[in-house]
Amino acid sequence: MVLDEKDNRNVWEKIGDYFSANSIWMKWYCTGCGAIELPPTMTSRYDMERLGMGPMATPRQADVLLITGYLSTKTLRRVIYSYEQMNSPRFIVAFGSCTINGGIYYDSYATIGRLDKYLPVDLYIAGCMPRPEVVMNGFNELIKMIKKGQAKGWKHYQENYEWYKKNQLDSLGEVIIKDEFHE
Amino acid sequence: MNVMSFVYGFLVLLGVFVFQTTLTGLNRKVTARLQKRYGARWYQQFLDIFKALRKDSTSHGWVFDFGVIMALGGIMATVIFIPVAGFEAFPGLDNIFVISYLLAVGMLGMAMSAAGSGNPWASIGVARALTNMLAYDVPLMIVIFTLIFAFDSSSLSEIAALQQGMGILGWNAFRMPLGGIVAVIALLGMLGKKPFDSFIAPTEIASGPMVEYGGKHLGFMFILHEFMTFIEVSIILSLFFGGGATIWEYMLKYAVLYTFMNIISGVMPRFKIDQAVKYFYRVPLAMAIVQGLVVIFTGLGVTLWF
Amino acid sequence: MNLTIILAVTVVLAVVSFFITRLNKKAGGFLTVIASLFAFVGLFLLKGSIGGEFSIFYFSFKITMVGWYFALIMVLAYSMTSFFNPFWMDKMMYPGSYNFMYLLSMAGTIGMFFAKDFITLFIFWETVVWSSTFIIQLGKSRKASYVYYVVSAIGSMATLFAIMMAYSVSGTFVISEAFAGLSGGAAIAVFFTFILSGLAKIGIFPFHVWLPAAHGNAPHTFSPVLSGGLVKMGAFIAFLSVTAFPAYEIFSGMFKVMGTPFPIYFLMALGAISIIVGTLMAIKQEDAKKLLAYSSVANGGYILIGILMLDQVGFAGGMMHLVNHAVASAAAFLAIAAVAYRTGTTKMSEMGGMIHRMPVTYIVYLVAIISMAGIPPMGGFVSKWLIFQGLADKGMLFLAAAAFFGSIGSFMYVFRPLSAVFLGQTFTRDLKKKEVGFFMMLPMLILTALSILAGVFPNTILRVITEIQASVGISPVTLAENTIVTVNGYLDAFRVFIVFGFGFTIAFVIFIVRRKSKKVELMDTYTSAEFIHTRELLHYSSKFYAPFERLYDKAPDTMKLYKKIAVKIGELGNLTESLFYGHKPEKTVFWVMITGIFVVIIGGVV
Repeated sequence: MVLDEKDNRNVWEKIGDYFSANSIWMKWYCTGCGAIELPPTMTSRYDMERLGMGPMATPRQADVLLITGYLSTKTLRRVIYSYEQMNSPRFIVAFGSCTINGGIYYDSYATIGRLDKYLPVDLYIAGCMPRPEVVMNGFNELIKMIKKGQAKGWKHYQENYEWYKKNQLDSLGEVIIKDEFHE
Repeated sequence: MNVMSFVYGFLVLLGVFVFQTTLTGLNRKVTARLQKRYGARWYQQFLDIFKALRKDSTSHGWVFDFGVIMALGGIMATVIFIPVAGFEAFPGLDNIFVISYLLAVGMLGMAMSAAGSGNPWASIGVARALTNMLAYDVPLMIVIFTLIFAFDSSSLSEIAALQQGMGILGWNAFRMPLGGIVAVIALLGMLGKKPFDSFIAPTEIASGPMVEYGGKHLGFMFILHEFMTFIEVSIILSLFFGGGATIWEYMLKYAVLYTFMNIISGVMPRFKIDQAVKYFYRVPLAMAIVQGLVVIFTGLGVTLWF
Repeated sequence: MNLTIILAVTVVLAVVSFFITRLNKKAGGFLTVIASLFAFVGLFLLKGSIGGEFSIFYFSFKITMVGWYFALIMVLAYSMTSFFNPFWMDKMMYPGSYNFMYLLSMAGTIGMFFAKDFITLFIFWETVVWSSTFIIQLGKSRKASYVYYVVSAIGSMATLFAIMMAYSVSGTFVISEAFAGLSGGAAIAVFFTFILSGLAKIGIFPFHVWLPAAHGNAPHTFSPVLSGGLVKMGAFIAFLSVTAFPAYEIFSGMFKVMGTPFPIYFLMALGAISIIVGTLMAIKQEDAKKLLAYSSVANGGYILIGILMLDQVGFAGGMMHLVNHAVASAAAFLAIAAVAYRTGTTKMSEMGGMIHRMPVTYIVYLVAIISMAGIPPMGGFVSKWLIFQGLADKGMLFLAAAAFFGSIGSFMYVFRPLSAVFLGQTFTRDLKKKEVGFFMMLPMLILTALSILAGVFPNTILRVITEIQASVGISPVTLAENTIVTVNGYLDAFRVFIVFGFGFTIAFVIFIVRRKSKKVELMDTYTSAEFIHTRELLHYSSKFYAPFERLYDKAPDTMKLYKKIAVKIGELGNLTESLFYGHKPEKTVFWVMITGIFVVIIGGVV
């Protein structure tokens, strides 16, 4: 993604981005181990509601998909499904080293290495695990990016859909679907 | 009925929206303080609503859209009927039955739209919401029935006016103490506050009826929730706490009552839906009937009794 | 228009339709449409000759306002439902006799409402009962018609007994004079036995068992008539028992509850019980038609309470609820029948998402249930509002509690078919189904329009009711232009409708100016990110209110009690049979004689 692109939003989009930046609802995709860092971020110690952030129940309602830690190839399908159910503008925050390069699972056959190949990540929060301070710092960064109109992963995903789809299919291999209980 | 009525009606809607949304934002802060947090900004609720309206949305067919519009339309019509400190955009239509059943149009619209999304969580949420409604409404309606019998009027503004000018003890909540308690408990149920919020349980049934809403639909739901809160609190305020002689008195009382509800809710766990029904049909129903019998057979409470 | 002509033509057409159906099934079905529409128009024109009296053979008739009102509701239900008849002829076992009975029972109801004396009334009443019994048999279950017939027979015989008893005192069968001179215990006995057939027909609590059995199992084209029409015959008997039999005057010396004599209050309490029972049972039904049948039980309770109040407001509400419930219930049953026409089932767990296939039917059902649940701006709201005002005026707390329970409970049960049948996921089997044809849509749309009109301009109906109220000597409900005025406040239904429209417009404008939403498939829904491929699995329809149902699933079932009684009666019969038809009957005779002699001796000594 190119970050230093010229700002060509009109006034309405700027206002819209102001609202988006100050009211961030998240869907937590908590299959990895990072989920444990979120309760302290949310509750009285760090209180993410100050920044207008909060958890939501379903991807339809959410703006941010927060992927907390490693993703196995089996769950990747579910993440993509969830992401495609979200309404744009939508952002992805990837959490922990595993989503950057695989982390300690870098040589595992069952997890994916770089999340960026499959879904457009707007912001990485590095660390294993990232402490709540880092998480809050990352969210601050995300807010700034949205305000400036730099978090454009969802547009990128639309424009380069074929490339993402190809990567996704490559990693999944062949999935034989019989019914809900046998895949 | 003339053009001015509609203009007033529209202004009432705007005013109510701004007032109630601000109050909701402030109450988010109150809840946060209860939990020893700093809490959201006071205008956070506005940001949330406008953000939701700004986003793209997903539709599941025409009934999904139509239900949302019908819900907000019905609720907004009900708001116009609510008398605020004696002011009504359409005078004489503040009949309590009209208001409480017109409210049901909005709820039906929301239920319809939610079930129309084809999501089973939504249907479960609606089933719970309707059961919850059956639980709180029967005791409340009995108390309201008692009021109508006592004052020979089913107009909200008239009942509110009858309580004014006698000080705090003239309020129906003090004239008919059991009825007042029932009304406050029922208000918790109406607002969907804890402990009666099992129908929007976010982690259990993925926020129930709201599960499929996103973007402008979700924004509609938030606006609708603000309006619905206003209607419900206003009904109880006018019937049991004397409404308000001036708009400022009304707003102050309103803010106190609503914040009180929030504080109760902030320290409560959640009832299962059948527990809520059992609870309402045990304690508040019995209190409501006792209050009704007292008023009908002894006349205590119709006038000041202390 | 002359009543004789209407009756004669319908009866003749009934016979003709039987033979025509033999030749051509469809033609016979269309004949019922023509005949019932003719009767409807004829009755409508009959309003000019109100007050006239005449007799045909032994039957004597008097055209009254209330009879006209009732007959019009009844024939409305018949004529609207008859539009479905031609399309169901192939599925019927005996289409000829169905058409014959259909028209005959309609003629019976018309004659019954205009009867001048009780013998006429009784004969026409029995015509209806018999012909509808044979129609119900053509449906799913033969046993349903037994239940229907037994309950009806108990009521009819009790009423006949009451008429005879009244005759022994007053010496006349003429309705307006027959009950004169009754007093004391005889009056109570006559009152309760007379109204029994009415209670049985409306489906008031101990007699409510026939409604789910009959409505649920009758042919789909007859259930709307049963619920929208025939049930209202009972309301007519209830009406007679407080007007022709001036119950309020005869019982005026008795113990009073909130200003109402105890016998009448007792019946109102039964009405309240049926509201509760009907609501609770409707909530847990799995079959859409049975659910609507139980809702008829609950609404029958409202009607009974309203009519028995015989006052300015509540009575008007009860009378108006007759037409509102008739229209709404007929429309709801027709909508379910239309769905059953396409899917072949009325079980709610076997359907879903029909809205995407049959949108018009969905709108019809939606308006019907809004009216049935008493939500503005439909007709049902106005009548329930009047009943509530009447109850509040008298301070009848417990009846009001039941009425509120039924009213809010009705949101629960009417939403159930809406959600299970029309909303949710469309089943794979139904993906190719189409909307019903225009001819079947027409009656449903007419009924929908009537429901809305009754809610927006309720005074059109209430004006007729004020005339009825004046004719029975109570002060009529106060009507201004568009406004209904009661002691406790007034209602301007038209303005409520306008404001609702205003709110709806604002919401619509906000919705439309925002960006258009992306349309997705129904299956693309939040499933906790799990992939679901079977539509049926994503549809939540059976055991809809399971947590609530659990609270009363141990409640006693009336039908089981009746079955036990039936078994005991059967055993008593077996005992008698074994005594007298055994191997040695002379032994039994000997013992009976000995016992008899002992009884006589002991009786003499005492």
